[in-house]
Amino acid sequence: MSLFSAIAVGASGMAAQRARAEVLVENLANADTTRTPEGGPYRRKDVIFETSPVAEEFSSIFASQVGGGGVAVAGVITDTSDPERRYMPGHPDADADGYVAFPRVNPAEDMVDLMGAARGYEANVAAISAVKDMIQRSIDLLR
Amino acid sequence: MLGPLGAQLERYMDLLSTRQKLVASNIANVDTPGYLTQDIDFQSEFQHALGGAPHAQPVEGLAVRNDGNNVSIDRESRLLAENALRFQAASSLLHSQIQMVRAAIKEGQGS
Repeated sequence: MSLFSAIAVGASGMAAQRARAEVLVENLANADTTRTPEGGPYRRKDVIFETSPVAEEFSSIFASQVGGGGVAVAGVITDTSDPERRYMPGHPDADADGYVAFPRVNPAEDMVDLMGAARGYEANVAAISAVKDMIQRSIDLLR
Repeated sequence: MLGPLGAQLERYMDLLSTRQKLVASNIANVDTPGYLTQDIDFQSEFQHALGGAPHAQPVEGLAVRNDGNNVSIDRESRLLAENALRFQAASSLLHSQIQMVRAAIKEGQGS
């Protein structure tokens, strides 16, 4: 049933956008974190999406002919650019010259991405509800 | 049992649900780098009249963004609503066909 797999596709989109939002919120929360378990300041993270087939119990052959897959998080990338150095001699994490390494996180950039993730999530919810309506219509044929 | 109109409506609804799946897929991949919008050629698939599974192909003429993705959320929203409404119309028509057959069966049973 093609319509039920459309719901699975929408759900995969919701899951991916939620994962992206989680990473972006982590960036915002750690915008001023100077200590991490790996040492050094926090580094900005971002997710990479990839197209992936959705799990389907029935008629997987038919689905593969039509194409059109869901989305999945391929991986989380960590920003490798140099940390921002601020002159704060009194700070406990300051180096010999009095500079503290701060994360290169731009809150405005993350906020914009977060809004994009929220909109993407909403679009997937709209897709699911449209497909749900179609399925309900098909069921109503029996009445 | 429902005649040629019923079979055509069935095909129509089948194609609409396939297309809706592709629209859902396009929306899900709105931020996937390199993803190209997929769609079926609705008219020619319907002309094939009950033949085989439809095949998806990339849509041409959409603006490609820097990450190689060309999903237009406006286009997909429009198609999402359009498909749902078309499906609604087709299902109402099929419903009336079924009601006619049911009425015939009930008349045969007598009162």
